[in-house]
Amino acid sequence: MQTRSMQTRRAARIVDWAIIAVLALMGVLMLMPFMWLFSMSFRPAAEAYRMPPSFLPPTLDLANYEAVLNSAVPFLKIYWNSLYVAVLVTIGQLVTCTLAAFAYARLRFPGRDSLFFVMLIGLMFPAQVTILPIYLGYAKLGLLNNPMGLVLMGLTSSFGIFMLRQFLRSQPKELEEAALMDGAGYFKIFWRISLPQLRPALAALAIITFTGAWNNYFQPRALIESQQAMTLPIAMDLLRGYMSQGNLSVVMAAMSMSILPVVLLFLVAQKMVIQGVTFSGIRN
Amino acid sequence: MTKRRLSDLKKAQMRAGYLFVVPSFVLYAAFVLVPVAITIVLSFTYYDISFGADWVGFENYVRFFSERRSLEIFWNTLRFAFFAVTCNVLVGLLLALALNRVMPAFLLYFFRLAFFLPVIISAAFVAVVWSYFYSVDFGVINYYLLQLGLPAVPWLSSSKVALTSIVIMDVWKNTGFFMIILVAALQGVPQPIMDAASMDGASPWRRFTRITLPYISPVLFFCIVFATIGALQVFESIMILTGGGPGDSTRSLSIYLVDEAFGSFELGYAAAVSVTMMLLVLVVTIIQLVGSRRFVES
Repeated sequence: MQTRSMQTRRAARIVDWAIIAVLALMGVLMLMPFMWLFSMSFRPAAEAYRMPPSFLPPTLDLANYEAVLNSAVPFLKIYWNSLYVAVLVTIGQLVTCTLAAFAYARLRFPGRDSLFFVMLIGLMFPAQVTILPIYLGYAKLGLLNNPMGLVLMGLTSSFGIFMLRQFLRSQPKELEEAALMDGAGYFKIFWRISLPQLRPALAALAIITFTGAWNNYFQPRALIESQQAMTLPIAMDLLRGYMSQGNLSVVMAAMSMSILPVVLLFLVAQKMVIQGVTFSGIRN
Repeated sequence: MTKRRLSDLKKAQMRAGYLFVVPSFVLYAAFVLVPVAITIVLSFTYYDISFGADWVGFENYVRFFSERRSLEIFWNTLRFAFFAVTCNVLVGLLLALALNRVMPAFLLYFFRLAFFLPVIISAAFVAVVWSYFYSVDFGVINYYLLQLGLPAVPWLSSSKVALTSIVIMDVWKNTGFFMIILVAALQGVPQPIMDAASMDGASPWRRFTRITLPYISPVLFFCIVFATIGALQVFESIMILTGGGPGDSTRSLSIYLVDEAFGSFELGYAAAVSVTMMLLVLVVTIIQLVGSRRFVES
């Protein structure tokens, strides 16, 4: 009896390791596109199409990176635009969403629940339903072809408010009540008590918002045409056109630089990124 | 005295409440509520940027549902959503089942890295890489197919294959998201019940269908709904891989909408397309939620 259970246990271990081996193989396959783009960015441009493809950098020559910076595409300006939009959108959302979340979670005022409900409906509308009027409005206000336009429309989010409110409601209320008894004002309570409590949720929201803004394609694509105002995701097409044929490696150098911030964020804070992104999925 | 102080407190609370809510609500109204309302109104007009709007009733919707081309695009979107959702969730579930076992921490880190990295990098970037992988003559995939003695596949240039190619890339990009969520769900399946079942001689398949599946079914349904909402809005991966072609074979509603709005400046018609899209998302979600009530065991 005992030997049999030991045998089955050993069989189970073998199956376990076989499955893990298959997973590892698939994991390497999943990473292939990234390995290819990274190694390609170091290949001499003349050899870009030589087969077999390489998945590890053949040299560490930065010529292709220099070529991106010296090209007709204002890559540095575009990079700066992306950073500018992503950072301002992140800061904006942290501010507006925490304020609102505090009010919806902790304060009582007439109409609070209906306002919150109306806010939640916003989770339902895809970006496609709001883009046309925003385009028309921006055309009137001169905000087309302007990164500021992208910042303005991203300064708040229903999701951010919802997430922070849920988090705040799960925190103990006693400290606030005590502070209130001591005569502290609501702004002081917000600043001194709720904000520190919210810290982990704020970090998660910052990560989601930053990567979301960095990756955003649909809205910039509709609102921006000029190279000087572009962000990186929509500039990829441009680079591809300018450097078509023969300059594949230069495009991949641009690509490596473009995905760098998000990759770094992920390598450093893997757990937090995954928690943030999956939570942003489970909002419903 | 105390009464006065209480009412003061109430007033202060009210003031603070409105003050804190105003910034986000004004922005939300300006960039979501009002635009949605305008889009709905716009969809009943013929709109010209210089001459303004003419009321045309349901004409734009009639056009959308009677033209061959728009119906094909509508159908493409549904077809893409069906295949992308099925593959994403199924592969995600298989990966989750494979990953849900004891293993050294460094392996777990590696797997999370490998399967989740595509999720957080924009399709706008990785689709450019895939377009080179898929290219017929000097593509990486065809190179290896030829090495194996298989024929080259016209991944993006054949209207029969292109949609499948986009689904493949979509699964590569998104399945890790579902894997992570389903791993979390699998860890909630109570181990004692599983052990008891295997003591009673239940086969792994039987344990899976009778214990695991019912336990994770709410999460599985969430994955399906979430994947569907995303797939119905598919935009950048198609835009970069095929631009909607060859012909209209991979054109989705989102791409059609942008073409009509910013290519031909048919803004009224484009608004009708976007409202149709919104309703489609809504209807599919409701169908799935009602369906889940019937099948999910709570």
